[in-house]
Amino acid sequence: MAGAAPQETGGKGKKKALDASLNLVPFIDLLSCCISFLLISAVWTQISGLQVASSGGPPDEQKKEQTIDVKLLLTDKGYSLNVAGTSIDIPKIQDKEAGMTFDRKTLDDKLKTLKSTLPDQQAITVQPEDAVAYDDLVNAVDACLGEQLHAVTVAPLN
Amino acid sequence: MAIVNPGKRPGDRIAKSKVFGKKFARGKKGGYAELMLTSLVDMFTILVIFLIQNYSANGEVLYMSKDIKLPFAVHGAQLERAPVVSISADAVTLDGKQVAQTDDLSKGDVLNVPELEDALREQKRIYDQIHANDPEHPFRGLVNVQADKKIQFKVVKKVMFACNQSGFGNINFAAMAKGADKTAAPAAPVN
Repeated sequence: MAGAAPQETGGKGKKKALDASLNLVPFIDLLSCCISFLLISAVWTQISGLQVASSGGPPDEQKKEQTIDVKLLLTDKGYSLNVAGTSIDIPKIQDKEAGMTFDRKTLDDKLKTLKSTLPDQQAITVQPEDAVAYDDLVNAVDACLGEQLHAVTVAPLN
Repeated sequence: MAIVNPGKRPGDRIAKSKVFGKKFARGKKGGYAELMLTSLVDMFTILVIFLIQNYSANGEVLYMSKDIKLPFAVHGAQLERAPVVSISADAVTLDGKQVAQTDDLSKGDVLNVPELEDALREQKRIYDQIHANDPEHPFRGLVNVQADKKIQFKVVKKVMFACNQSGFGNINFAAMAKGADKTAAPAAPVN
């Protein structure tokens, strides 16, 4: 049992202890129950969601505000950022482990430049080829959301 | 004057000390061993605080499977409860129930996936029935899609088309949260 208090000294007769011992057992019981419950109900995998609109889906309000048509194409050669008819190619880069991969860093830079020139732009259409992996699609959508292009629409390239 | 045994006679404070008092103890040793519970309580408290901090009231939204390895994303928002379409290398499932084979979807050029569309329409019908008199919770067409990171867009495209055909136009791509920063993009508003 825990508890501590100064001992009374001096005076006449027997000394009366000022120690009051706390009963910790019910407290430990409560904590054990809490730990069991929290461990059982804990979610260990942190999963997030990237919200996109599918082409041909219900029209969003934000789409109406879209002033410039911005498209991000994902092909076997790399990214291709299409802003109002002007195309910027971002070729794939060689990675030591994964081989040829999409150049996410350059895409981030290009999207940042786009956002600085068109601060009100919120809409972008991501158009991957059929052979593009889900991983690369998610990466592209993630890059768009990271640059505050919140209204992402995913549509097939052809 | 009282007669005392010869030898060392400690003072009151030393005699009561747990460390030094034993030296001067006389008589039988007690068989009762006291457990130090304070440190145990400290540890339990720290554990409870840690677990409460990491507690997610949302619970598990997705059905995690060994066949599906999700990609990582930094700017994702928290997933909401909605029908879950899972695409593994073998099968496409809706809320854990198989609706199509992935191989079949990766072959043809036809976009329709009738089984998935029917199952999603059924989900929509159930939602509409349950919330018939609940104008605060209109149908938002939200669906969670989780796919293995190697699955081709050709398959994902067909699943998206099926979702769209069934009225589920707002798709959430599931991804593992990686170093989520505080400026993460909020989920786009859904109507």
